[in-house]
Amino acid sequence: MKAKQFAAVLCAAAVVCSGMAVYAEEFNPDQVEGAMTIEDVRAEFGEEVPVADGITFGGVMKSLSNEFWRTLEEGYHAAEDKVKEAGVDYSIVIDATTDEADEIGQQTMTSNMVNQGVTAILASPISDSNLTSAVEDAQDQGIPVFNVNDGLIASAEYYVGPNAYQNGLLAAEWISKQLGDEGQVAIVIGMPKAFAARERTAGFKDWIAENNSGLEVIAEQNADWDRQTAKNLAATWIQQNPDLKAIFCNNDTMALGVVEAVEEAEADILVVGVDGIGEAYDSIRAGKLDATVDSFPYYMSQVATECALRVMAGQELPRVVATPQALIDSENVDTEAAEIIGWTDATYVKAE
Amino acid sequence: MGRFFSKNKRELVVFLATLGMAAVFTIMNPAFVKWNNILTVFQQMVLNGVLAVGIMFAIITGGIDLSIGCTYAITGICVAWCTVHGVNPLIAILIGLVIGAVLGAFNGFLVTGLKLQPFIATLGTMSLYRGIAYVVTGGIPVTSVPDSYRNIFNGKMFAGIRFYVLVMIIIFIIAYIILSKTRTGAYLYAVGGNEEAAKLSGVNVVKTKYIAYIVCGACAAIAGMIMLASLGSAEATAGTGYETNAIAAAAIGGTRMAGGRGSALGTFIGALMLAVLKVGMVVINVDSFWQYIVTGLIIIIASYFEFMQEDFKAFMARRKNK
Repeated sequence: MKAKQFAAVLCAAAVVCSGMAVYAEEFNPDQVEGAMTIEDVRAEFGEEVPVADGITFGGVMKSLSNEFWRTLEEGYHAAEDKVKEAGVDYSIVIDATTDEADEIGQQTMTSNMVNQGVTAILASPISDSNLTSAVEDAQDQGIPVFNVNDGLIASAEYYVGPNAYQNGLLAAEWISKQLGDEGQVAIVIGMPKAFAARERTAGFKDWIAENNSGLEVIAEQNADWDRQTAKNLAATWIQQNPDLKAIFCNNDTMALGVVEAVEEAEADILVVGVDGIGEAYDSIRAGKLDATVDSFPYYMSQVATECALRVMAGQELPRVVATPQALIDSENVDTEAAEIIGWTDATYVKAE
Repeated sequence: MGRFFSKNKRELVVFLATLGMAAVFTIMNPAFVKWNNILTVFQQMVLNGVLAVGIMFAIITGGIDLSIGCTYAITGICVAWCTVHGVNPLIAILIGLVIGAVLGAFNGFLVTGLKLQPFIATLGTMSLYRGIAYVVTGGIPVTSVPDSYRNIFNGKMFAGIRFYVLVMIIIFIIAYIILSKTRTGAYLYAVGGNEEAAKLSGVNVVKTKYIAYIVCGACAAIAGMIMLASLGSAEATAGTGYETNAIAAAAIGGTRMAGGRGSALGTFIGALMLAVLKVGMVVINVDSFWQYIVTGLIIIIASYFEFMQEDFKAFMARRKNK
């Protein structure tokens, strides 16, 4: 009996250790050497993007009921129009799951696109692993895969998306500036398992550590991306810590819940979110939410399209291309996004 | 008084455990017993408490309702839409109650009319109702709910107590009266205890189950409307996973999962215990990962208490025989 129990403990320990090993080797696009922005790419490989006739991309996305993904889709079509304006025969087919959890459905969609023979796949996976086998099928047939934001496909050749770590840096820097670099801050984390939640939190805390900032993180808890949970959390913090000066939330939905708690307590606390959803913009205009870090999905998909077309034209792009993002507060909330990030459209030309 | 204690021994034990937990939190951080923090505990138990008292009705009849989190979201969305479009807040609340009752009645129909297993039937409506919430909103939150509506629930009475705390207490009192003082209550227990026997002794089983699911839906609707007042906006993803906390509160409070037993007082204390735990762990800053573990352990230990109490003699007898 004893021996059996010992063996069981050993097995459990082995499983835990192997899990940790996998975790340590995980692909992290935020920390990859040689990552470029789209401006870097254009400077290095030239402004003009030559596009051959007959290219069809396959876009795989998540729930279009989410504003973020709808905007990403609009960006894909905006890029499609621009390529067509150059007189090239190009198109993109887009498919999306009905909810954000249909992992198998998304895999089927990807396989269908492989079978249809698209030129390349631009995928925003639900999880880190649900598209793995479909991606391998694509690669076997010589179809390159571009991982556009979200779940990370370690085997995909290219990753195009925002730097989640930098979200946290931008938020910490802004809060520090507003508070004269001193005061207590708290962090509302999303789902601890989510890459974006971990990286945003890490970026925020690292900025404070690396700049010897006077900001002090007195509490951090997760609220599972849920508005009500975030509000409850903030309400408890606020009445326990009268000196709390700012709360950083891993996304806007939670930040909007925290704003309600701050208003109810009539406290003077800065609230910063991430994502830049429409409701967050409205809240900033109304003077409630203080700031959000927007990663501009409309431009993210245009960058993704441009990068994929550059690869098709034989350019050797780096593994990771970081898409534009910026902190939005009351000062620039009404400025055009293109102006904030200094966006210029790609120049597509017909390949000879 | 003595009779009250002997009748509610189970509730008393859980209540003492809750006080013990509060004492531990207070030792670790004396600010836990500040009046404002006690208010926070009561405010944060409201949503779960109202959901739990509803689901307790379904559980007492031997059923379950997994769709309450989705009913909660739909009601929040519809009432938000109504108030934003100028409907009188009181009428909007009535509409919300009707929506909750209708969605609950549909669950009742699936369970009694189509004779589906409650778990499967409400697993189906859970997805169905969530889908409706997505379709209705297109995934976009409904925002800018007017204060005229929000103040009905969110406004403050004396000593900083918000109206929705009072609403919850009234709901618990009504539930207590229905369950212990009315014939319907006796029927609910009878159906859950032994459906065949209840049927033979003339209880209208179908009607009784309809009542349970309608009450459950209405409670979920009220919780949804309180959430709307508290947040000022409603979205399709609201309430995801809330059914598990409601079940936990009911179970800790002594509701038997197989049906036939459960009390309003017990469920109230169950929800209170979970709120004390949640707020306490935030106050003493327990790491989020550990909160899941502690919460899970507390639920298991609390259920084990019940087993120990109820079957203590039988349990001891079995041990002797071994």
